[in-house]
Amino acid sequence: MPAYHSAFNELTDLRSVGSMALLPIKTRVRGPAPIADPNAEDIIDEALNLFRANVLFRNFEIKGDADRVLIYLILFITECLGKLARNPSLREAEKILGTLALGNFAIPGDATFPLNALYTAPANKMDADLLRQYVSQLRQEMAVRLPNRIYENDKPGKWWMCFQKRKFMNKTLQTVGAGAGAGGARSRSEEKMEKS
Amino acid sequence: MILLDYHNRIIEDTLKTRFNPDLWSKQEPGTGTGGGAGTGAGARENSQPYYAENKPKPVDMSIVDFDGVSYHLSTLDDNDAKLNLSIRWKCWHELVKYGAIDVLKREYSRWIVDPEHGYDFTLQFDLDNIGGDPEDVIRRVSLLKRNAMAAPFERAFDAQSLAEQEDHWDPSSSQLMTIHYRDGEAIYVQNQQDRVTVIFSTLFKEETDRVFAKVFLQEFVDARKKPHLQNAPQVIYSHREPPLEIRHVPGLLDSESQGYITFVLFPRNYAAGAVREETISRIQIFRDYLHYHIKCSKAYMHSRMRARVSDFLKVLNRAKPEIQASEKKLASGRAFRRV
Amino acid sequence: MSRLAPVVIDNGTGFTKMGFAGNNDPSFIQPTVIATRDGGSAGSGAPSVPSKPSFLNSSASSNLASKRGIEDLDFYIGDEAVANSKTYALNYPIRHGQIDNWDHMERYWEQSIFKYLRCEPEDHSFLLTEPPLNPPENRENTAEIMFESFNVQGLYIAVQAVLALAASWTSSKVSEQTLTGTVIDSGDGVTHVIPVAEGYVIGSSIKSVPIAGRDLTSFVQNLLRERGENMIPAEDSLTVAQRIKEQYSYVCPDIVKEFKKYDQEGDKYFKKYEGVHSVTGKPYSVDVGFERFLAPEIFFNPEIASSDYLTPLPEVVDTVVQTSPIDVRRGLYKNIVLSGGSTMFENFGKRLQRDIKRIADTRIKRSEVLSGGKMQATPMEVNVITHKKQRYAVWFGGSLLASTGEFHSYCHTKAEYDEVGPSIARHNRVFGTVG
Repeated sequence: MPAYHSAFNELTDLRSVGSMALLPIKTRVRGPAPIADPNAEDIIDEALNLFRANVLFRNFEIKGDADRVLIYLILFITECLGKLARNPSLREAEKILGTLALGNFAIPGDATFPLNALYTAPANKMDADLLRQYVSQLRQEMAVRLPNRIYENDKPGKWWMCFQKRKFMNKTLQTVGAGAGAGGARSRSEEKMEKS
Repeated sequence: MILLDYHNRIIEDTLKTRFNPDLWSKQEPGTGTGGGAGTGAGARENSQPYYAENKPKPVDMSIVDFDGVSYHLSTLDDNDAKLNLSIRWKCWHELVKYGAIDVLKREYSRWIVDPEHGYDFTLQFDLDNIGGDPEDVIRRVSLLKRNAMAAPFERAFDAQSLAEQEDHWDPSSSQLMTIHYRDGEAIYVQNQQDRVTVIFSTLFKEETDRVFAKVFLQEFVDARKKPHLQNAPQVIYSHREPPLEIRHVPGLLDSESQGYITFVLFPRNYAAGAVREETISRIQIFRDYLHYHIKCSKAYMHSRMRARVSDFLKVLNRAKPEIQASEKKLASGRAFRRV
Repeated sequence: MSRLAPVVIDNGTGFTKMGFAGNNDPSFIQPTVIATRDGGSAGSGAPSVPSKPSFLNSSASSNLASKRGIEDLDFYIGDEAVANSKTYALNYPIRHGQIDNWDHMERYWEQSIFKYLRCEPEDHSFLLTEPPLNPPENRENTAEIMFESFNVQGLYIAVQAVLALAASWTSSKVSEQTLTGTVIDSGDGVTHVIPVAEGYVIGSSIKSVPIAGRDLTSFVQNLLRERGENMIPAEDSLTVAQRIKEQYSYVCPDIVKEFKKYDQEGDKYFKKYEGVHSVTGKPYSVDVGFERFLAPEIFFNPEIASSDYLTPLPEVVDTVVQTSPIDVRRGLYKNIVLSGGSTMFENFGKRLQRDIKRIADTRIKRSEVLSGGKMQATPMEVNVITHKKQRYAVWFGGSLLASTGEFHSYCHTKAEYDEVGPSIARHNRVFGTVG
């Protein structure tokens, strides 16, 4: 039983941008994503549910465009957990993650995006903008939901934090914002070290 | 390990876990055995949880000891807290004749019950009330075989010390006690006025064993020549020829594989107290001790032989001719190469 | 003379199990390790031989006078060896299941028999075990030691996997006593999957998986460290990991669902491990969480713990069966038997059965589709047998076999050995062929 896939792979009538599926989200953050049924699980919930299982895996076969969203979100969760390593209070955490979500980030096609091998770059400038807004929306919504999910007693729960060192598919998003090009190279070299 | 233990280890280990409620929880289901070793090993291997039940598990096992002794250690069918230990030994009736019951009563009085069917003697323990310091009880119980066998020796020692005080001792009152403790092998114990003679008749199944035994026993004789071992009992080994003391006994086997070892014990060898107990323990396990050492000697010889073989192999491998690449010359002086 | 109970000894790479036939459990379970003084000559382990052996020299007569030492008796085995490891050198006579150092092994047996089991080998028959694919030379060596050093009455050398199959007959799930089946033997060091057809090991199809008890323990240790369970004293961390694995681990059907259960009913699932510091004696407690189901999960998803071994155990089992002769495959699927400590996790068998069944069903379905619906295959029956004696299954199987009436007729006797020589050990009387 390998790593878990997104249930949204099954949906066919979705638009994809840069090989990432434009999935409905339950959110108040404004963006291009369609609004999801508030009673159903959306991709953010799914990512939170699958995170602890999938993060243990190094190999992941992409079965659909929704999987690419899932990968991105899981890697983003890892990044968020990294930011919470110093046990900030819930208020502070929300602030930290909010900043992180809105901060500089790369999207598929950017030179600094670590997963370019798995994603296709958006076809044109318009798609790229759309993708950036979508990813930003995903990030912001995750930044809101994650602390609520994992906080216990005004501290990030240790049953989540214990996964912060794990690297899903041996990748991280942390290169975002670092020098151009260096990021991808670094994650690859880390991967090598892991293997040796 | 030079000397063999006198006590039975399996009984010791099993009782240790049984008598110690703290260990029950660590025990594996149904494992009465293993004891310290078993639980230790269990911890190192892995397993699913055995949720501690603070209750002894039923046990039923058969154990053997040297010289064809069989033990049966079991809990009662209707009560897991009652533990039976039974012993069966082919020479039991002889031991009883020589006063074993008295010795056993002295050691185990409170636990003796009617013998279990098929066994000669049974002890029963109530785990809720062992009746004594557990350590002491375990120690004593694990020496069950030794204590049973101690009877003829104690009797002989006592008789000798009585005889010593008499001025006119009647040699005919000396008793020759025969214990056929193994098939074809027996221990003879005879008390005299100033000494007790113990004779082992032993069978060697193998010619090699007999030779090893001879060399080994010769060492006893040699060792005794050393000043600090002067007080050790005299050991005489005779092959095939029974010693005088037992020559009249009917049914002695006259064969090449038969050997007799005689120990002459003087009162100083069995002065009351620890010395005496130690002497009894040690002498009765002599036969097993001898055979153990014969086997060890063989094992030692084997390891020497293996080392030698590997040395010789090295030499042989060195002697392998190297493939010669020398050029041959033709009569004309031109180089000739074989293709 | 009534026959005394045969002695059953299962010498494994890690642990030796020994006891008397007819009992339910081995009397001793201890590490297969021997502590000797002659640690200097590591590797060879043989007593140092003088460059010129005295018995080859003319001065051999002086040999008796120069009293020989008793170094060859100065050693410990098992737990006592470990306890004495400070002053003695530890040697492991068995490597990868096969006897590696015969000198040490001979002495290991010597003490096993005389110190632990306390029996006169001349009065007993012995049942020893061997790993699959044991070279016949090893079997001959074993017979040589047993008959020539110990004069054993009779000897039978059984293949471990076959004994494990026999041990499963105690399970209520087993309806017929067959010697056909797949044995999954997982101990501390390595896991083997061994197909056996009518008592014969199908050597070419054996597969081993480099995941076993030890790997699970270190995985648990890792998880604890990652979570920052800093209450655990460094020197106890391995033991704690081991205890947690042994006491709390189980196999779950689905990890995501399991995570959810922990979120929703934490009280029921999160446990606390109470330990005592081995040096200072201070008590401490450790939270036990996901490692409960993640540890055994590495059998089913090796990649979560290892980066170079990726094949899940069910897949290995399936491959083993598929590479075996076609006419025994159904029998192999039908009777998958577990043996060894690392198969003791709760629901291990269930999960394995489900996963193997899934693989087999998929294959059948595919072949049906490929045949264009013209072929209908009978569904494959997959059974994983778990039983109470799983942990020491090999020993227990040996105990069963040796307590049967026929055992003595299977044994090679001393007389036969004297007649034929060590090559007699190549012959197995249960099957009546040269094995």
